[in-house]
Amino acid sequence: MIELFEWLQSLSFMTFIRESGVEYPIVMSTHLTCIGIFGGLIVITDLRLLGLAFRDQTIADIVNGLRWWKRVGFIVMFAMGFTLFGSKAAEYYANPFFWVKMSCLILVLIHALIFRPLVYNHPEQLDATPVIPTRAKAAGALSLILWTAVLCNGRLIGYYEAPVQKRSFGVSSVELK
Amino acid sequence: MLLLQVDSIADALNSSDWIFATAECCHIAALAWSIGMTAAVDYKLLGFGIQRSTPSKVLRDTTPWTILGFAVVLLSGPILLLSDVRMYLHNPSFRFKMLALALAIVFNFTIHWKVADSDNVSKPVQVITAIVSLALWISVIFGGLFIAFA
Repeated sequence: MIELFEWLQSLSFMTFIRESGVEYPIVMSTHLTCIGIFGGLIVITDLRLLGLAFRDQTIADIVNGLRWWKRVGFIVMFAMGFTLFGSKAAEYYANPFFWVKMSCLILVLIHALIFRPLVYNHPEQLDATPVIPTRAKAAGALSLILWTAVLCNGRLIGYYEAPVQKRSFGVSSVELK
Repeated sequence: MLLLQVDSIADALNSSDWIFATAECCHIAALAWSIGMTAAVDYKLLGFGIQRSTPSKVLRDTTPWTILGFAVVLLSGPILLLSDVRMYLHNPSFRFKMLALALAIVFNFTIHWKVADSDNVSKPVQVITAIVSLALWISVIFGGLFIAFA
């Protein structure tokens, strides 16, 4: 698999981003901006599903109203994140925090596959019940935990320094911020 | 004397690899939390976001959570600052971030608050307020991240 990572990193676009002056931090800032202005919408949805906030608004109004904003934010965030990863892919390969983050993202995908048909696709059903169903609270709690884990491990990627580089990846660990 | 005290605080903070990393994770998570809440109000001012609601309703619902997020951001931020005060104070991106942060906070609790809390404000004013608010918070994020690259 390391060959695949090295190939990705060697692409001209990825090399340009890695060796650029201001473009790399702009991509990273845009990634973080999406976390800021769209990630909070995930929190709003989760808090409503848990019944901890926005209780005078229906679950359907919040889930349906924020759905497309969250999707747009996720697409931009993913594109920027993939560019950051691709530009230093070989170094990410050796970083345990990167793999923990990827594992958490796979769990986020599994969370979506399980709870989309049960919760998110039919929020009106949740409003029709006198008490918020356990499945909706579970979806909100797990979403909060998983996205927090994704965020923290994403940041910790920058703190990892490989002990000794046995292969030459063309990028020093100091550059991975 | 003050510099010696600052240095001793920095030494304590840098004595463990995890203090700065934990503070930064809290800083970024709380930033997403609080700016996301403010953004929800801005989306409503723009005419999108939470359905069948008003900007004032979204503002009142989000305010306690926004303040909670800001509190964590403003508590974790000084920990990051104190780890290397000299570097931060001489860093142009840090200065830009502090200026943008001051403007964002003042704007948020004055004009933004007043416009969002009144549902009788004209649409152009609501749109401009939302755009300025989003621009200020995005500036804070960009300024913060560029500190590492300045």
